[in-house]
Amino acid sequence: MRFFRWLRHNAEHYLLEAAQVDMAKKHRGGSGPLQPRNPQAFFWRRIFVPIYRLLPWSVRSAIMRAMPGSHRRSWERRASN
Amino acid sequence: MRIVVVGGGAAGIGAQGGAKGAAPDAEVILYTEYEDVGYSPCGIPFVHGREIERFEDLILQDKKFYEDAGFDIRYTTRVESIDTASQEIQVAGEGTVKYDRLVLGTGWNYEDPGLPGSDLAGLHYVKNIRRAMEFDKLLDEAKVAVVVDATPIGVEMATAFAHRGLETHFVDPGGWPLADVADPEIMEPVEESMRGLGIHLHMQTSVERFVGEGSVRGVATSQGEIPADVVVVATHKTPNTALATAAGIKTGSTGGIIVDDGMATSAENVWAAGDCVEIPHSVSKVPINGLSGSHAYAQGKVAGVNAGGGERAYQAVQVPWGMVAGTWTIGGVSFGETLATALGIPHVVGMADGISKARYYPGFSRIRVKLLVDPKTRTLVGGQMVGVEGIKERADFLAMAMRARVPIDDIAWMENVYSPPIGALNEPMALAAQNALGKL
Repeated sequence: MRFFRWLRHNAEHYLLEAAQVDMAKKHRGGSGPLQPRNPQAFFWRRIFVPIYRLLPWSVRSAIMRAMPGSHRRSWERRASN
Repeated sequence: MRIVVVGGGAAGIGAQGGAKGAAPDAEVILYTEYEDVGYSPCGIPFVHGREIERFEDLILQDKKFYEDAGFDIRYTTRVESIDTASQEIQVAGEGTVKYDRLVLGTGWNYEDPGLPGSDLAGLHYVKNIRRAMEFDKLLDEAKVAVVVDATPIGVEMATAFAHRGLETHFVDPGGWPLADVADPEIMEPVEESMRGLGIHLHMQTSVERFVGEGSVRGVATSQGEIPADVVVVATHKTPNTALATAAGIKTGSTGGIIVDDGMATSAENVWAAGDCVEIPHSVSKVPINGLSGSHAYAQGKVAGVNAGGGERAYQAVQVPWGMVAGTWTIGGVSFGETLATALGIPHVVGMADGISKARYYPGFSRIRVKLLVDPKTRTLVGGQMVGVEGIKERADFLAMAMRARVPIDDIAWMENVYSPPIGALNEPMALAAQNALGKL
């Protein structure tokens, strides 16, 4: 499970960072987040994010849902809390 | 039957009440490592900011109330380990305690900032009410405060310090405050108002180390050093699952404990609730973690009732949220445009500026509503708002609309209350929905 936590943590961080850059360009004239440079960041920014963005939503969604977690257990009942 | 609850926050208190209600004859024991249970930690910034007079006002019920109600609460008592096979826990000072049913409500911890100087005395993390009482005394003498990280608690603390008259510095690597949560057009008036309150916003700035000898005296940032009398670290919340993982209970990609809709974990006769678990999101279906106290309490009740032999269910969440930021209130539900863009969720944005009451009525205020709509299903993906009045109620409404899968067409042409002192002719959510319809 450590692998999936590591994967999700990094994927979320760099996808959010890229989205914030886009939003800053669109709404603020470019003042996005600080983007410290390091070898790990290079992989996520230059390889992972562009590939993820090329995938159709159905594929992205299927990959996310394939990860282990609470969503793979029973969540069919109507709330009664 | 003996039901043991670990944790005295909203989830633990909900579980204890749920268990006692479902199984009145059961022995229900709650262990907490803290001095108090069932208070509102979310209220702490507002005592620091002097909107609330006393910390004691945050405590929902005193210890005698729980005693009189027949609840067995063991304060300042640490549960050290769980053996799910023999159904036993090890308790500091008590030894081995058997359980028939166990509910975990172990909450959350702050993410370790992982910076040099993180061990200096005086770095404050907002969580425990007793530590907050001690910290509040320091604020009487302090002149300069630094808040590290623009998370919701960070924004609330910065606002509180400004209300208290402290020179307040707010340091975050994001382009705008709450950038992980809120969109820039929503935060624009908030930022302006924070500056208006005298808060120094150091955006696009990272903290490199905490400065001091023995106790913290400032922070060194990528833009230079900021001397400070007090420093609040407001990093992200992470689930506290140390006990559960050591016992072999499964956790998911958020780090939270995996549960089903009855809040049952992977271990037999063990349930979990609150910030230590992960819950599926209704739109993405992906589990998320770190919700509000109201979520934790409701989950605790479900876990407690089920542990007591009842049958209750929790549902995937839409996550309505809201908070005061600067002089504004912001809020929303599920996804904003930033997060939807990050995940690549298909959406169309509808936005409108409206007003809270009739334009001629004294004290009307502006409300900006931004809605995200799935172009295929024409239902909401999320929404965000900034205003002064009615943000919480609109966030709750939008969450309900999402749960019921109300089409955007129905929101666009919804009926709304019109009465000059309390509501404008046009409902801002309907205007935003109409704007979205034009793009579908």
